[in-house]
Amino acid sequence: MTTREQMVLDDITRVAGVRSAILVAADDGLVVAESALEGQATEAAAAFAARLAQRLAALTRTLHTPPMSVMLLQATGGQLFVAAGGEGLLLVAVTGNEVNIGEVRLALLDAAGRLN
Amino acid sequence: MRALEPWVEDPLRTFVAESQVRVALLMTSAGQVVAQHGFTRSLDVMTAAALGAGIVASTRELARETGAGTFGAIVHQGGKLGVFLAPFSMPDTQWIGLAVFGPDTSIGMVQLFFGRMVDDLVKTAPRTLPGREVLPETFEDDLNASLRALFGR
Amino acid sequence: MTDDIAAMTLELAQDPNSLVFLRLAEALRRKGQLDAALTVAGRGAGRYPELADAHDLLARIQADKGDGDGAFDAWTTVLRLAPDHLGAHKGLAFIAYRTGDLGRSVRHLTRALELAPADTSLASAIERIRSMMVSRTEPAPGAPEPAPPEPRGAVELTPALLFDQQGRVLRGSLERSDGVDASDAVAAALAGVSREAERATRMLELGEWRAIAIESGAVNYELRTPTAETLLLVMRGREVPAGRLARIADKAVEQARQWLEELA
Repeated sequence: MTTREQMVLDDITRVAGVRSAILVAADDGLVVAESALEGQATEAAAAFAARLAQRLAALTRTLHTPPMSVMLLQATGGQLFVAAGGEGLLLVAVTGNEVNIGEVRLALLDAAGRLN
Repeated sequence: MRALEPWVEDPLRTFVAESQVRVALLMTSAGQVVAQHGFTRSLDVMTAAALGAGIVASTRELARETGAGTFGAIVHQGGKLGVFLAPFSMPDTQWIGLAVFGPDTSIGMVQLFFGRMVDDLVKTAPRTLPGREVLPETFEDDLNASLRALFGR
Repeated sequence: MTDDIAAMTLELAQDPNSLVFLRLAEALRRKGQLDAALTVAGRGAGRYPELADAHDLLARIQADKGDGDGAFDAWTTVLRLAPDHLGAHKGLAFIAYRTGDLGRSVRHLTRALELAPADTSLASAIERIRSMMVSRTEPAPGAPEPAPPEPRGAVELTPALLFDQQGRVLRGSLERSDGVDASDAVAAALAGVSREAERATRMLELGEWRAIAIESGAVNYELRTPTAETLLLVMRGREVPAGRLARIADKAVEQARQWLEELA
Protein backbone atom coordinates (compact mmCIF):
# COMPACT_ATOMS: atom_id res chain seq x y z
CA MET A 1 0.00 0.00 0.00
CA THR A 2 1.33 3.45 -0.87
CA THR A 3 1.18 6.51 1.33
CA ARG A 4 -1.03 8.18 -1.27
CA GLU A 5 -3.70 5.49 -1.04
CA GLN A 6 -3.58 5.56 2.73
CA MET A 7 -3.93 9.34 2.79
CA VAL A 8 -6.89 9.19 0.43
CA LEU A 9 -8.64 6.60 2.62
CA ASP A 10 -7.80 8.48 5.81
CA ASP A 11 -9.48 11.57 4.35
CA ILE A 12 -12.69 9.60 3.85
CA THR A 13 -12.71 8.30 7.41
CA ARG A 14 -12.37 11.88 8.66
CA VAL A 15 -15.95 12.51 7.52
CA ALA A 16 -18.18 12.24 10.59
CA GLY A 17 -19.94 8.89 10.87
CA VAL A 18 -17.63 6.96 8.53
CA ARG A 19 -16.54 3.73 10.20
CA SER A 20 -14.23 2.45 7.48
CA ALA A 21 -12.91 3.31 4.04
CA ILE A 22 -11.55 0.51 1.91
CA LEU A 23 -9.91 0.21 -1.48
CA VAL A 24 -11.13 -3.07 -2.97
CA ALA A 25 -10.16 -5.20 -5.96
CA ALA A 26 -13.43 -5.17 -7.92
CA ASP A 27 -13.13 -8.67 -9.39
CA ASP A 28 -11.76 -10.42 -6.33
CA GLY A 29 -13.46 -8.56 -3.49
CA LEU A 30 -10.14 -8.42 -1.64
CA VAL A 31 -8.93 -5.52 0.47
CA VAL A 32 -6.18 -3.53 -1.28
CA ALA A 33 -5.88 -0.80 1.37
CA GLU A 34 -7.98 0.27 4.31
CA SER A 35 -8.54 2.90 6.93
CA ALA A 36 -10.91 1.79 9.64
CA LEU A 37 -11.98 2.32 13.21
CA GLU A 38 -11.00 -0.52 15.50
CA GLY A 39 -13.13 -3.63 15.24
CA GLN A 40 -14.48 -2.92 11.76
CA ALA A 41 -14.69 -6.02 9.53
CA THR A 42 -13.13 -4.57 6.39
CA GLU A 43 -12.65 -8.00 4.80
CA ALA A 44 -16.40 -8.66 4.84
CA ALA A 45 -17.25 -5.16 3.64
CA ALA A 46 -14.83 -5.54 0.73
CA ALA A 47 -16.17 -8.95 -0.30
CA PHE A 48 -19.83 -7.92 -0.14
CA ALA A 49 -19.31 -4.53 -1.75
CA ALA A 50 -17.59 -6.15 -4.73
CA ARG A 51 -20.27 -8.82 -4.93
CA LEU A 52 -23.09 -6.28 -4.93
CA ALA A 53 -21.29 -4.12 -7.47
CA GLN A 54 -20.94 -7.16 -9.74
CA ARG A 55 -24.61 -8.02 -9.39
CA LEU A 56 -25.73 -4.47 -10.05
CA ALA A 57 -23.46 -4.21 -13.07
CA ALA A 58 -25.92 -6.58 -14.74
CA LEU A 59 -28.56 -3.85 -14.40
CA THR A 60 -26.58 -1.15 -16.17
CA ARG A 61 -25.45 -3.62 -18.83
CA THR A 62 -29.03 -4.72 -19.45
CA LEU A 63 -30.33 -1.18 -19.77
CA HIS A 64 -27.34 0.00 -21.82
CA THR A 65 -26.50 2.72 -19.34
CA PRO A 66 -22.91 3.53 -18.31
CA PRO A 67 -21.27 1.48 -15.55
CA MET A 68 -22.23 2.32 -11.98
CA SER A 69 -20.33 5.30 -10.59
CA VAL A 70 -21.79 5.28 -7.06
CA MET A 71 -23.93 2.77 -5.17
CA LEU A 72 -25.46 3.22 -1.73
CA LEU A 73 -26.95 0.35 0.24
CA GLN A 74 -29.10 1.75 3.04
CA ALA A 75 -30.04 -0.38 6.02
CA THR A 76 -31.66 0.15 9.39
CA GLY A 77 -28.30 0.11 11.20
CA GLY A 78 -25.94 1.76 8.74
CA GLN A 79 -24.96 2.25 5.13
CA LEU A 80 -22.54 0.84 2.61
CA PHE A 81 -21.20 3.23 -0.03
CA VAL A 82 -19.41 1.92 -3.12
CA ALA A 83 -17.80 4.10 -5.77
CA ALA A 84 -15.88 3.16 -8.89
CA GLY A 85 -12.29 3.78 -7.88
CA GLY A 86 -10.47 3.56 -11.18
CA GLU A 87 -8.93 0.62 -12.99
CA GLY A 88 -10.45 -2.52 -11.46
CA LEU A 89 -10.88 -0.92 -8.05
CA LEU A 90 -13.76 0.10 -5.85
CA LEU A 91 -13.82 2.62 -3.04
CA VAL A 92 -16.00 1.44 -0.21
CA ALA A 93 -17.19 3.21 2.93
CA VAL A 94 -19.21 1.81 5.79
CA THR A 95 -21.07 4.43 7.78
CA GLY A 96 -23.75 4.90 10.37
CA ASN A 97 -27.14 6.34 9.47
CA GLU A 98 -26.47 9.69 11.06
CA VAL A 99 -23.93 10.48 8.35
CA ASN A 100 -24.28 13.26 5.79
CA ILE A 101 -24.83 11.19 2.65
CA GLY A 102 -23.90 13.99 0.29
CA GLU A 103 -20.64 14.59 2.11
CA VAL A 104 -19.61 10.93 2.04
CA ARG A 105 -20.57 10.66 -1.62
CA LEU A 106 -18.43 13.67 -2.50
CA ALA A 107 -15.55 12.38 -0.38
CA LEU A 108 -15.64 9.07 -2.27
CA LEU A 109 -15.84 10.75 -5.68
CA ASP A 110 -13.01 13.08 -4.72
CA ALA A 111 -10.95 10.11 -3.54
CA ALA A 112 -11.67 8.24 -6.77
CA GLY A 113 -10.45 11.26 -8.73
CA ARG A 114 -7.24 11.45 -6.70
CA LEU A 115 -6.54 7.74 -7.18
CA ASN A 116 -7.04 7.84 -10.95
CA MET B 1 -21.98 -33.58 1.37
CA ARG B 2 -20.16 -36.34 3.20
CA ALA B 3 -18.01 -36.05 6.32
CA LEU B 4 -16.03 -38.57 8.35
CA GLU B 5 -16.56 -36.36 11.40
CA PRO B 6 -20.20 -35.34 11.95
CA TRP B 7 -19.31 -32.09 13.74
CA VAL B 8 -17.56 -30.91 10.56
CA GLU B 9 -20.76 -31.01 8.52
CA ASP B 10 -22.46 -27.84 9.73
CA PRO B 11 -19.48 -25.49 9.36
CA LEU B 12 -18.68 -26.94 5.94
CA ARG B 13 -22.31 -26.74 4.81
CA THR B 14 -22.45 -23.09 5.87
CA PHE B 15 -19.20 -22.36 4.06
CA VAL B 16 -20.45 -23.94 0.84
CA ALA B 17 -23.80 -22.15 1.03
CA GLU B 18 -22.44 -18.72 1.88
CA SER B 19 -19.36 -18.67 -0.33
CA GLN B 20 -21.13 -20.44 -3.21
CA VAL B 21 -18.12 -22.61 -3.98
CA ARG B 22 -18.81 -25.57 -6.23
CA VAL B 23 -16.48 -28.09 -4.66
CA ALA B 24 -14.99 -28.19 -1.17
CA LEU B 25 -12.63 -30.60 0.50
CA LEU B 26 -11.26 -30.71 4.01
CA MET B 27 -8.25 -32.89 4.69
CA THR B 28 -5.47 -33.39 7.15
CA SER B 29 -2.01 -32.17 6.26
CA ALA B 30 -1.17 -35.80 5.41
CA GLY B 31 -3.91 -35.86 2.77
CA GLN B 32 -6.51 -37.84 4.73
CA VAL B 33 -9.93 -36.67 3.65
CA VAL B 34 -12.16 -35.37 6.45
CA ALA B 35 -15.15 -34.11 4.48
CA GLN B 36 -16.11 -33.27 0.94
CA HIS B 37 -18.81 -31.48 -0.98
CA GLY B 38 -19.37 -31.60 -4.72
CA PHE B 39 -17.16 -34.50 -5.72
CA THR B 40 -18.94 -37.32 -7.48
CA ARG B 41 -16.16 -39.86 -7.84
CA SER B 42 -13.87 -41.22 -5.15
CA LEU B 43 -10.96 -41.07 -7.57
CA ASP B 44 -11.34 -37.30 -7.86
CA VAL B 45 -11.28 -36.92 -4.08
CA MET B 46 -8.18 -39.05 -3.74
CA THR B 47 -6.39 -37.10 -6.44
CA ALA B 48 -7.45 -33.71 -5.12
CA ALA B 49 -6.49 -34.58 -1.55
CA ALA B 50 -3.09 -35.93 -2.57
CA LEU B 51 -2.33 -32.96 -4.80
CA GLY B 52 -3.63 -30.42 -2.29
CA ALA B 53 -1.54 -31.83 0.54
CA GLY B 54 1.47 -32.01 -1.78
CA ILE B 55 1.10 -28.39 -2.90
CA VAL B 56 0.76 -27.15 0.65
CA ALA B 57 3.78 -29.16 1.78
CA SER B 58 5.97 -28.02 -1.10
CA THR B 59 4.85 -24.38 -0.81
CA ARG B 60 5.57 -24.43 2.91
CA GLU B 61 9.03 -25.83 2.18
CA LEU B 62 9.61 -23.20 -0.50
CA ALA B 63 8.57 -20.47 1.92
CA ARG B 64 10.94 -21.85 4.52
CA GLU B 65 13.85 -22.11 2.05
CA THR B 66 13.37 -18.57 0.78
CA GLY B 67 12.85 -17.12 4.21
CA ALA B 68 9.35 -16.04 3.30
CA GLY B 69 8.02 -17.46 6.53
CA THR B 70 4.51 -18.81 6.78
CA PHE B 71 1.97 -18.47 4.03
CA GLY B 72 -1.78 -18.17 4.07
CA ALA B 73 -3.84 -19.26 1.12
CA ILE B 74 -2.89 -20.21 -2.42
CA VAL B 75 -5.31 -19.05 -5.09
CA HIS B 76 -5.26 -20.04 -8.72
CA GLN B 77 -7.65 -17.97 -10.80
CA GLY B 78 -8.42 -19.73 -14.05
CA GLY B 79 -10.54 -18.50 -16.91
CA LYS B 80 -13.77 -20.01 -15.66
CA LEU B 81 -12.93 -21.58 -12.32
CA GLY B 82 -10.66 -20.68 -9.46
CA VAL B 83 -8.99 -22.90 -6.88
CA PHE B 84 -8.49 -21.84 -3.27
CA LEU B 85 -6.15 -23.89 -1.10
CA ALA B 86 -5.32 -22.98 2.48
CA PRO B 87 -3.76 -24.72 5.48
CA PHE B 88 -5.17 -23.89 8.89
CA SER B 89 -4.59 -24.84 12.49
CA MET B 90 -6.94 -27.08 14.40
CA PRO B 91 -6.34 -28.03 18.03
CA ASP B 92 -3.10 -30.05 18.05
CA THR B 93 -2.99 -30.58 14.28
CA GLN B 94 -2.98 -28.94 10.83
CA TRP B 95 -5.77 -29.27 8.30
CA ILE B 96 -6.09 -28.10 4.72
CA GLY B 97 -9.12 -26.71 2.92
CA LEU B 98 -9.55 -26.81 -0.82
CA ALA B 99 -12.36 -25.11 -2.73
CA VAL B 100 -13.19 -24.71 -6.40
CA PHE B 101 -15.27 -21.66 -7.26
CA GLY B 102 -16.84 -20.13 -10.35
CA PRO B 103 -17.65 -16.61 -11.52
CA ASP B 104 -20.77 -16.54 -9.36
CA THR B 105 -18.59 -15.72 -6.36
CA SER B 106 -15.18 -14.15 -5.73
CA ILE B 107 -11.92 -14.87 -3.97
CA GLY B 108 -12.91 -12.34 -1.34
CA MET B 109 -16.14 -14.18 -0.55
CA VAL B 110 -14.39 -17.56 -0.47
CA GLN B 111 -11.66 -16.24 1.80
CA LEU B 112 -14.15 -14.49 4.08
CA PHE B 113 -16.34 -17.51 4.65
CA PHE B 114 -13.40 -19.90 4.77
CA GLY B 115 -12.08 -17.89 7.72
CA ARG B 116 -15.46 -18.11 9.42
CA MET B 117 -15.64 -21.85 8.81
CA VAL B 118 -12.22 -22.32 10.38
CA ASP B 119 -13.37 -20.36 13.45
CA ASP B 120 -16.47 -22.58 13.69
CA LEU B 121 -14.44 -25.76 13.27
CA VAL B 122 -12.00 -24.77 15.98
CA LYS B 123 -14.88 -23.94 18.33
CA THR B 124 -16.71 -27.21 17.78
CA ALA B 125 -13.77 -29.60 17.44
CA PRO B 126 -13.48 -32.45 19.95
CA ARG B 127 -10.19 -32.96 21.73
CA THR B 128 -8.92 -35.79 19.53
CA LEU B 129 -8.90 -35.07 15.84
CA PRO B 130 -8.02 -36.92 12.67
CA GLY B 131 -4.52 -35.97 11.78
CA ARG B 132 -2.58 -38.68 13.51
CA GLU B 133 0.54 -39.90 11.82
CA VAL B 134 -0.12 -41.98 8.71
CA LEU B 135 1.79 -45.24 8.81
CA PRO B 136 2.66 -47.06 5.59
CA GLU B 137 1.19 -50.31 6.85
CA THR B 138 -2.22 -48.76 7.59
CA PHE B 139 -2.33 -46.20 4.79
CA GLU B 140 -4.33 -48.25 2.29
CA ASP B 141 -6.85 -49.42 4.89
CA ASP B 142 -7.28 -45.85 6.16
CA LEU B 143 -7.78 -44.56 2.65
CA ASN B 144 -10.33 -47.20 1.71
CA ALA B 145 -12.23 -46.70 4.93
CA SER B 146 -12.35 -42.94 4.32
CA LEU B 147 -13.58 -43.34 0.76
CA ARG B 148 -16.28 -45.79 1.83
CA ALA B 149 -17.48 -43.31 4.41
CA LEU B 150 -17.37 -40.39 2.01
CA PHE B 151 -19.09 -42.10 -0.88
CA GLY B 152 -21.19 -44.67 0.93
CA ARG B 153 -19.63 -47.70 -0.70
CA MET C 1 -42.42 32.39 -45.35
CA THR C 2 -41.41 31.72 -48.97
CA ASP C 3 -38.75 34.41 -48.72
CA ASP C 4 -37.53 32.89 -45.50
CA ILE C 5 -37.32 29.49 -47.14
CA ALA C 6 -35.39 30.94 -50.05
CA ALA C 7 -32.99 32.74 -47.72
CA MET C 8 -32.42 29.66 -45.61
CA THR C 9 -31.96 27.49 -48.72
CA LEU C 10 -29.29 29.91 -49.93
CA GLU C 11 -27.61 29.94 -46.55
CA LEU C 12 -27.52 26.15 -46.47
CA ALA C 13 -26.17 25.98 -50.01
CA GLN C 14 -23.36 28.34 -49.05
CA ASP C 15 -22.59 26.48 -45.84
CA PRO C 16 -23.76 22.83 -45.90
CA ASN C 17 -22.59 22.47 -42.27
CA SER C 18 -24.98 25.17 -41.09
CA LEU C 19 -27.60 24.22 -38.54
CA VAL C 20 -30.07 26.31 -40.50
CA PHE C 21 -31.31 23.02 -41.95
CA LEU C 22 -33.38 22.59 -38.77
CA ARG C 23 -35.36 25.77 -39.36
CA LEU C 24 -35.54 25.19 -43.11
CA ALA C 25 -36.93 21.66 -42.82
CA GLU C 26 -39.40 22.79 -40.17
CA ALA C 27 -40.58 25.65 -42.42
CA LEU C 28 -41.00 23.24 -45.34
CA ARG C 29 -42.91 20.82 -43.12
CA ARG C 30 -45.29 23.54 -41.97
CA LYS C 31 -45.81 24.53 -45.57
CA GLY C 32 -46.74 20.97 -46.43
CA GLN C 33 -43.69 20.36 -48.64
CA LEU C 34 -43.00 17.10 -46.88
CA ASP C 35 -40.71 15.48 -49.44
CA ALA C 36 -38.46 18.54 -49.57
CA ALA C 37 -38.55 18.78 -45.76
CA LEU C 38 -37.59 15.14 -45.49
CA THR C 39 -34.66 15.56 -47.87
CA VAL C 40 -33.30 18.56 -45.95
CA ALA C 41 -33.82 16.97 -42.53
CA GLY C 42 -32.40 13.63 -43.68
CA ARG C 43 -29.21 15.25 -44.97
CA GLY C 44 -28.89 17.32 -41.79
CA ALA C 45 -29.35 14.26 -39.57
CA GLY C 46 -26.74 12.45 -41.67
CA ARG C 47 -24.33 15.34 -41.14
CA TYR C 48 -25.13 15.60 -37.41
CA PRO C 49 -25.96 12.03 -36.34
CA GLU C 50 -25.62 12.89 -32.64
CA LEU C 51 -28.03 15.83 -32.81
CA ALA C 52 -31.26 14.70 -31.17
CA ASP C 53 -33.29 17.61 -32.56
CA ALA C 54 -32.39 16.62 -36.12
CA HIS C 55 -33.82 13.13 -35.59
CA ASP C 56 -36.86 14.60 -33.83
CA LEU C 57 -37.53 16.79 -36.87
CA LEU C 58 -37.07 13.80 -39.15
CA ALA C 59 -39.55 11.84 -37.04
CA ARG C 60 -42.18 14.58 -37.17
CA ILE C 61 -41.91 14.86 -40.95
CA GLN C 62 -42.22 11.08 -41.31
CA ALA C 63 -45.22 11.07 -38.97
CA ASP C 64 -46.83 13.77 -41.15
CA LYS C 65 -46.19 11.59 -44.20
CA GLY C 66 -47.90 8.66 -42.47
CA ASP C 67 -44.66 6.71 -42.21
CA GLY C 68 -45.16 5.37 -38.67
CA ASP C 69 -42.23 2.97 -38.81
CA GLY C 70 -39.83 5.67 -39.97
CA ALA C 71 -41.07 8.05 -37.26
CA PHE C 72 -40.76 5.34 -34.62
CA ASP C 73 -37.16 4.63 -35.61
CA ALA C 74 -36.24 8.31 -35.61
CA TRP C 75 -37.81 9.03 -32.21
CA THR C 76 -36.19 5.94 -30.78
CA THR C 77 -32.88 7.34 -31.97
CA VAL C 78 -33.73 10.62 -30.26
CA LEU C 79 -34.26 8.85 -26.94
CA ARG C 80 -30.98 7.04 -27.32
CA LEU C 81 -29.26 10.40 -27.70
CA ALA C 82 -31.41 12.32 -25.21
CA PRO C 83 -33.47 10.05 -22.92
CA ASP C 84 -35.50 13.00 -21.62
CA HIS C 85 -36.48 14.50 -24.97
CA LEU C 86 -40.04 15.72 -24.47
CA GLY C 87 -40.94 15.69 -28.17
CA ALA C 88 -39.77 12.12 -28.65
CA HIS C 89 -41.82 10.86 -25.70
CA LYS C 90 -44.90 12.66 -27.05
CA GLY C 91 -44.27 11.31 -30.54
CA LEU C 92 -43.75 7.73 -29.40
CA ALA C 93 -46.86 8.01 -27.22
CA PHE C 94 -48.81 9.06 -30.30
CA ILE C 95 -47.47 6.18 -32.41
CA ALA C 96 -48.16 3.66 -29.65
CA TYR C 97 -51.70 5.02 -29.31
CA ARG C 98 -52.30 4.67 -33.04
CA THR C 99 -51.06 1.10 -33.05
CA GLY C 100 -53.27 0.22 -30.06
CA ASP C 101 -50.43 -0.22 -27.56
CA LEU C 102 -52.14 1.86 -24.90
CA GLY C 103 -49.88 0.78 -22.03
CA ARG C 104 -46.78 1.98 -23.89
CA SER C 105 -48.58 5.17 -24.88
CA VAL C 106 -49.36 5.93 -21.23
CA ARG C 107 -45.78 5.25 -20.24
CA HIS C 108 -44.42 7.77 -22.74
CA LEU C 109 -47.09 10.33 -21.84
CA THR C 110 -46.33 9.88 -18.15
CA ARG C 111 -42.67 10.53 -18.79
CA ALA C 112 -43.59 13.54 -20.91
CA LEU C 113 -45.75 14.87 -18.07
CA GLU C 114 -42.85 14.49 -15.67
CA LEU C 115 -40.73 16.52 -18.05
CA ALA C 116 -43.45 19.15 -18.61
CA PRO C 117 -45.62 19.09 -15.46
CA ALA C 118 -47.46 22.29 -16.48
CA ASP C 119 -48.78 20.73 -19.69
CA THR C 120 -52.36 19.88 -18.70
CA SER C 121 -53.08 18.34 -22.10
CA LEU C 122 -50.70 15.51 -21.24
CA ALA C 123 -52.50 14.75 -17.96
CA SER C 124 -55.89 14.66 -19.68
CA ALA C 125 -54.49 12.44 -22.46
CA ILE C 126 -53.21 9.98 -19.85
CA GLU C 127 -56.59 10.03 -18.11
CA ARG C 128 -58.40 9.42 -21.39
CA ILE C 129 -56.20 6.50 -22.42
CA ARG C 130 -56.44 4.92 -18.98
CA SER C 131 -60.22 5.05 -19.24
CA MET C 132 -59.96 3.31 -22.59
CA MET C 133 -57.74 0.65 -21.04
CA VAL C 134 -60.27 -0.02 -18.30
CA SER C 135 -63.18 -0.16 -20.74
CA ARG C 136 -61.23 -2.60 -22.89
CA THR C 137 -61.19 -5.04 -19.99
CA GLU C 138 -64.95 -4.94 -19.47
CA PRO C 139 -66.31 -8.43 -20.00
CA ALA C 140 -68.36 -9.58 -22.92
CA PRO C 141 -71.67 -11.21 -21.93
CA GLY C 142 -70.91 -14.62 -20.50
CA ALA C 143 -67.20 -13.95 -20.29
CA PRO C 144 -65.34 -14.95 -17.11
CA GLU C 145 -64.92 -12.44 -14.30
CA PRO C 146 -62.26 -9.90 -15.25
CA ALA C 147 -59.17 -9.16 -13.20
CA PRO C 148 -59.67 -6.36 -10.66
CA PRO C 149 -59.18 -2.89 -12.15
CA GLU C 150 -55.69 -1.51 -11.89
CA PRO C 151 -55.21 0.84 -8.95
CA ARG C 152 -54.98 4.31 -10.43
CA GLY C 153 -51.43 5.20 -11.23
CA ALA C 154 -49.95 2.22 -9.44
CA VAL C 155 -46.27 1.89 -10.33
CA GLU C 156 -46.81 3.95 -13.44
CA LEU C 157 -46.04 7.38 -12.06
CA THR C 158 -42.50 6.87 -13.18
CA PRO C 159 -40.50 4.29 -15.11
CA ALA C 160 -40.61 1.47 -12.58
CA LEU C 161 -40.60 -2.29 -12.49
CA LEU C 162 -42.08 -4.56 -9.84
CA PHE C 163 -40.83 -8.14 -9.91
CA ASP C 164 -40.53 -11.14 -7.64
CA GLN C 165 -37.48 -12.81 -6.14
CA GLN C 166 -37.61 -15.43 -8.88
CA GLY C 167 -37.09 -12.78 -11.55
CA ARG C 168 -40.67 -12.67 -12.84
CA VAL C 169 -42.17 -9.32 -13.79
CA LEU C 170 -45.29 -8.45 -11.82
CA ARG C 171 -46.04 -4.93 -12.95
CA GLY C 172 -44.64 -2.00 -14.92
CA SER C 173 -41.89 -2.00 -17.47
CA LEU C 174 -38.50 -0.55 -18.22
CA GLU C 175 -37.07 0.26 -21.60
CA ARG C 176 -33.53 0.66 -22.77
CA SER C 177 -32.68 4.07 -24.14
CA ASP C 178 -33.21 2.70 -27.67
CA GLY C 179 -36.82 1.90 -26.78
CA VAL C 180 -36.40 -1.86 -26.51
CA ASP C 181 -38.32 -3.35 -23.61
CA ALA C 182 -35.87 -4.73 -21.05
CA SER C 183 -38.32 -5.59 -18.26
CA ASP C 184 -37.76 -9.35 -18.26
CA ALA C 185 -34.00 -9.02 -18.56
CA VAL C 186 -33.83 -6.52 -15.68
CA ALA C 187 -36.02 -8.69 -13.45
CA ALA C 188 -33.86 -11.72 -14.20
CA ALA C 189 -30.63 -9.78 -13.61
CA LEU C 190 -31.75 -8.40 -10.25
CA ALA C 191 -33.63 -11.41 -8.90
CA GLY C 192 -30.89 -12.43 -6.48
CA VAL C 193 -29.82 -8.96 -5.43
CA SER C 194 -32.17 -8.82 -2.47
CA ARG C 195 -30.59 -11.93 -1.00
CA GLU C 196 -27.11 -10.48 -1.57
CA ALA C 197 -28.12 -7.22 0.09
CA GLU C 198 -29.67 -9.08 2.99
CA ARG C 199 -26.51 -11.16 3.44
CA ALA C 200 -24.29 -8.09 3.20
CA THR C 201 -26.18 -6.12 5.83
CA ARG C 202 -26.38 -9.16 8.10
CA MET C 203 -22.66 -9.90 7.87
CA LEU C 204 -21.74 -6.24 8.29
CA GLU C 205 -24.21 -5.89 11.17
CA LEU C 206 -26.05 -3.08 9.45
CA GLY C 207 -29.55 -4.37 10.20
CA GLU C 208 -32.22 -4.84 7.54
CA TRP C 209 -31.63 -3.36 4.12
CA ARG C 210 -34.11 -0.74 2.94
CA ALA C 211 -32.87 0.68 -0.34
CA ILE C 212 -30.10 0.56 -2.91
CA ALA C 213 -29.42 3.74 -4.84
CA ILE C 214 -27.32 3.50 -7.99
CA GLU C 215 -25.84 6.28 -10.10
CA SER C 216 -25.11 5.30 -13.69
CA GLY C 217 -24.23 8.12 -16.06
CA ALA C 218 -27.32 10.13 -16.89
CA VAL C 219 -29.59 7.72 -15.05
CA ASN C 220 -30.24 7.10 -11.37
CA TYR C 221 -31.88 3.95 -10.03
CA GLU C 222 -33.40 3.11 -6.70
CA LEU C 223 -34.12 -0.48 -5.71
CA ARG C 224 -36.59 -1.22 -2.94
CA THR C 225 -38.27 -4.23 -1.47
CA PRO C 226 -42.00 -3.49 -1.03
CA THR C 227 -42.54 -6.96 0.46
CA ALA C 228 -40.28 -9.86 1.38
CA GLU C 229 -41.07 -11.52 -1.95
CA THR C 230 -40.85 -8.55 -4.29
CA LEU C 231 -38.45 -5.92 -5.56
CA LEU C 232 -39.21 -2.55 -7.10
CA LEU C 233 -36.79 -0.72 -9.36
CA VAL C 234 -37.39 2.97 -10.00
CA MET C 235 -35.41 4.70 -12.72
CA ARG C 236 -35.08 8.43 -13.34
CA GLY C 237 -32.85 10.84 -15.21
CA ARG C 238 -29.96 12.31 -13.28
CA GLU C 239 -31.64 15.71 -13.25
CA VAL C 240 -33.92 14.31 -10.54
CA PRO C 241 -32.00 14.81 -7.29
CA ALA C 242 -31.31 11.72 -5.19
CA GLY C 243 -33.51 12.93 -2.35
CA ARG C 244 -36.46 13.41 -4.69
CA LEU C 245 -35.88 10.03 -6.29
CA ALA C 246 -36.06 8.49 -2.81
CA ARG C 247 -39.44 10.21 -2.27
CA ILE C 248 -40.67 8.95 -5.63
CA ALA C 249 -39.53 5.46 -4.68
CA ASP C 250 -41.35 5.76 -1.32
CA LYS C 251 -44.55 6.53 -3.17
CA ALA C 252 -44.03 3.76 -5.71
CA VAL C 253 -43.44 1.29 -2.86
CA GLU C 254 -46.73 2.29 -1.23
CA GLN C 255 -48.55 1.87 -4.52
CA ALA C 256 -46.91 -1.47 -5.18
CA ARG C 257 -47.93 -2.72 -1.74
CA GLN C 258 -51.48 -1.54 -2.31
CA TRP C 259 -51.58 -3.26 -5.68
CA LEU C 260 -50.20 -6.49 -4.23
CA GLU C 261 -52.78 -6.40 -1.44
CA GLU C 262 -55.57 -5.98 -3.95
CA LEU C 263 -54.26 -8.97 -5.87
CA ALA C 264 -54.16 -11.15 -2.75
